[in-house]
Amino acid sequence: MDDLEALFAEAKSGAMQPSQGLMARVIADAEALQPRPVPLAGPHARSGPQARGGFLAGLAALFGGAGALAGVGSAAVAGLVIGLVQPSAVESMSGMLASTSTTIEQVELIPDVSALLAGE
Amino acid sequence: MPRDTFADLPDEALLVLYANGDPDAARLLAHRLVPRLVGYAARMLSDRSEAEDIAQEAMLRLWKLAPEWRQGEAKVSTWVYRVAGNLCTDRLRARRRRSVSALDDVAEPESGAQPAVAGLIEADRMAALDAALAALPERQREAVVLRHIEGLSNPEIAEILQIGVEAVESLTARGKRALATALSGQRAALGYEEAD
Repeated sequence: MDDLEALFAEAKSGAMQPSQGLMARVIADAEALQPRPVPLAGPHARSGPQARGGFLAGLAALFGGAGALAGVGSAAVAGLVIGLVQPSAVESMSGMLASTSTTIEQVELIPDVSALLAGE
Repeated sequence: MPRDTFADLPDEALLVLYANGDPDAARLLAHRLVPRLVGYAARMLSDRSEAEDIAQEAMLRLWKLAPEWRQGEAKVSTWVYRVAGNLCTDRLRARRRRSVSALDDVAEPESGAQPAVAGLIEADRMAALDAALAALPERQREAVVLRHIEGLSNPEIAEILQIGVEAVESLTARGKRALATALSGQRAALGYEEAD
């Protein structure tokens, strides 16, 4: 067994060196397969048309793509319009919620069908 | 990052740097791993040229995997050893298939420990060791090479071979006993004692 340990030690110390050709092939493979670095936007890159494109692209990526960003944008605009225009149904609902004196019986949630329900 | 600071980084960090596009990380990682893979595969296959193919293929798979590498799940070195081991196993199986078909044509004794060692009268010590290793069953050979020549720990070998630590201990012990038996008749040729 001592002889065997000596052989192992000899094998360990005489580690095989790969040929230069192999190292060149391995490095060439690595370079060919290396992902391209993603440039980080520096402070100076925040102005100019390219920077604006980069910001929008980054924002789209944050929301999970341009489609998702468009959906979120549409919802935001719809919310703004509803808030500004204040359709009567919204107005009566918000009036009920905001007012402390209004009771639920006073609010016509579906004003147009009440007549039908009454059989008139 | 300056290149001299790379030397202290673990393999996993170098792989992440490579995936992030650092040009020097791959070179350093290759210089760390390729010699070990060549040594391991050469001991497994007893063929230097095939060992270089195995090392290149294992590294190629590592480069491909780099962007999806999940840190903390495995060591890079363990992973490439496992890939190289599997590739060696494939090659050894292919060799066996070829030798079986050759045996059908030519009636030769089946290769085993004794024939592998018997023809080593003029061989040097490393060739004797390689021949004795080649006569071991594959799993024993893998375990012995990884433990006693590559210097890995039993838990690392267990991860590479995907077996338990006790099984690794058993494989290395049986492998060493078989090697000692195979080489016992070669002591004089190995230069460890004078021939009687």
